[in-house]
Amino acid sequence: MAEALNGNRSILVVGGGITGLSAALEAAETGFPVYLVEKEAYLGGRVARMNKYFPKLCPPNCGLEINFRRLKNNPLIQTYTMTEVEKVEGEEGNFEVTLRTSPRYVNEKCTACGLCEAAATTEVPDPFNYGLKQVKAAHLPHEFAFPLRYVLTPEVLGTAEAEQIKAACPYDAIDLDMEARQMTVSVAAIIWATGWRPYEAEKIAYYGFGKQQNVITNVMLERLAAANGPTAGKIRRPSDGGEVKRLAFIQCAGSRDENHLPYCSGVCCLASLKQTTYLLEQDPEAHATIFYIDIRALGRYEAFFTKVQADERVTLIKGKAGEISEDPQTGMVTVQVEDQATGKILRDQFDLVVLAAGMVPNSPTVSVHNTQVAHDESGFMLTSQAVSGIIGAGCVKQPVDVATCVQDATAAALKAIQSTCRR
Amino acid sequence: MEPKNVSLEMRDYIAEMGAETINWCMQCGLCTNLCPWRLVPGETSDGFNIRHMQRLGQMGMEGFEEETILFACSTCSMCQSNCPRGVKIVDNVRGMRASIVGGGMAPAHLRPILGSAHANGNPWAGPREKRTVWQEGLDIPQFGPETEYFLFVCCHSCYDPRSTKIARSIAALLRHAGVSFGVIGAEESCCGESMRKMGDEELFLKLAESNIELYNGKGVQKIITTSPHCLWTFKNEYPELGGEWEVIHYTALLSQLQEEGKLPLAKSLAKKTAFHDPCYLGRHSEIYDAPRQLLSSALQADPVELGRARELSLCCAGGGGRIWAEVPMGERFGELRIKDALNVGAEVLATSCPYCLNMLTDACKSLDQQDSLEILELSEILAGALEEGQ
Repeated sequence: MAEALNGNRSILVVGGGITGLSAALEAAETGFPVYLVEKEAYLGGRVARMNKYFPKLCPPNCGLEINFRRLKNNPLIQTYTMTEVEKVEGEEGNFEVTLRTSPRYVNEKCTACGLCEAAATTEVPDPFNYGLKQVKAAHLPHEFAFPLRYVLTPEVLGTAEAEQIKAACPYDAIDLDMEARQMTVSVAAIIWATGWRPYEAEKIAYYGFGKQQNVITNVMLERLAAANGPTAGKIRRPSDGGEVKRLAFIQCAGSRDENHLPYCSGVCCLASLKQTTYLLEQDPEAHATIFYIDIRALGRYEAFFTKVQADERVTLIKGKAGEISEDPQTGMVTVQVEDQATGKILRDQFDLVVLAAGMVPNSPTVSVHNTQVAHDESGFMLTSQAVSGIIGAGCVKQPVDVATCVQDATAAALKAIQSTCRR
Repeated sequence: MEPKNVSLEMRDYIAEMGAETINWCMQCGLCTNLCPWRLVPGETSDGFNIRHMQRLGQMGMEGFEEETILFACSTCSMCQSNCPRGVKIVDNVRGMRASIVGGGMAPAHLRPILGSAHANGNPWAGPREKRTVWQEGLDIPQFGPETEYFLFVCCHSCYDPRSTKIARSIAALLRHAGVSFGVIGAEESCCGESMRKMGDEELFLKLAESNIELYNGKGVQKIITTSPHCLWTFKNEYPELGGEWEVIHYTALLSQLQEEGKLPLAKSLAKKTAFHDPCYLGRHSEIYDAPRQLLSSALQADPVELGRARELSLCCAGGGGRIWAEVPMGERFGELRIKDALNVGAEVLATSCPYCLNMLTDACKSLDQQDSLEILELSEILAGALEEGQ
């Protein structure tokens, strides 16, 4: 019936994180063809890099696996990794979108056998693990990567090493001459689900992130706690691999601050509360302290907050931490804070300090007929757009948790479907 | 604990005196933690908590007016520049001080300073006619209708013998670069920046109005300041009183001239040199690169950076009237700054503010480190590089 109204029933989903995946599946399972494009070499986005969800403390990989199976079983979804939107033309019901795919230098013949990785010698910081470890120039983006295919970093192109890597592959899957490709798709609607990135914590100069090894961000702690992370799930001090007995969280590292992010990032309090449980599970004798301005645990999350708060190994102190300094000899990090309950200046030492860095939206960068896809002053995409048929979903619209992203994805899928049959 | 009363009248009065943003504070305490007073021990450090002081102001409660609390802040802006709510903390300190000083209750040690500024137009008890003594033998041009820049020399560099070298060096550099500049002389008055920070609104107005009338009468359009404090008040406080000029600190002008090729300098200084960012040049005016660029061009090796540099620079403790405060040894920020410099192996600590020069020199002496570390104003180093280059 929709075809009778409109020739184009296809939907483009930009972003293959939890929001984009969910929107793509919802639309496709309703019978609409979907192009799903993802900038990275794998699907799953930020969620793939997380250890556990709050408040249930279950692993995100389980839900991702179910989604990947749904995706594999659905012939209506075409997935393109390492692909970004270059240009959008047309109008609701009839967009022409130019996509650009960066070269992966590994083709579809790859069986993920790993011989290329064994042949590589150059190492680069692993972006999946926020640089907490190095990876070989030929590597699988991560253990559970979907699609399960290796990728070659362009740094080694033109070297003898690249030739060795190519020679090591028994399947002729390494293509050193691969070039960027452009393609055009016709779609009725575009769901924009490009998500977020952590705030650059080094911009908060007085916290010394990037200069002090035992000061890390909350996303990095997810990797340290994850079984497929750089430390096989053991939370250790980056400086010397030492034990973490005393862990501190600095809330609002960037958020609620006019000099950085003027908004509350919404999830960091719950993330830190969750992360205290990682350490206490690993070491029942350990202790965690959360320095906060206000704990924001909305709705039913209040129960999770009170549960963590009741644990006597967790201390919550109201006060925004000032300077953080690491002793180069011992690696211990001193945090200074004014306890707002007592007015006392506290100076305490920790093995590891986690900055609860805020969420920064990956704002839409395209325009349609000179009309820029609209966002607010912080970069969050607006719900109401001048060009109909371009629909934001998830963290690109507002800083929210995974459950809210999935709900928003479903709503976006319905709106996109409406675009396919609206005159 | 004896009960204290909330006074909305007092709160409103404080806000009226300049603490307009005092109610924006959300009590996170970042200000107190970033305050340089946390880095030293002692009575003032124990008693002075900037968040708490503003909280008292918010409620109009007594307890803030004690000298060790109300007059402790050096207005370095470390807190203000980082405040998550954009609270104008320095204005709040000024407003709270004004609510006390305006009632004739200035602290005893500041009265002679304020008195001298009233009587002589400078806080250094120097007679007006001696304002031009620094110029002796230099043939400094008078500002006239044909002159492009009026050079305003900070009172400190007019009267303090050590500091006069700054004025002399800057004049030599300007002359060498072919800048059209002149001074007015004995009729000039103190810019009043520190007087206002100490809470004397009336005195500030008197000084500012006298300067504005004088400069406008002479046809001043552009001003070069030697001190970042004069720069800041001319730029930020004078315009609403009728003093609207193009104001530039000497470092910014010289770095422009250098880029234009008008200030060739020889890389003459061989000593390992670090730069201390003055609060009023750095955090208050956001000038970080110009002095470094100038310094680099006069050094044989690259300058070394202090641990706390640029926007994290540690105050010398000379702003906000603190240059006149008596502080016990071991509680002086300047001493920490000397240690910062020694820690990076510096043999020279350069700065570009007369107050910083004064405070750092004193601190270096009190730590008995004069033989290891020389304190110089940037202009002196540059002028030295000129002579050798000629």
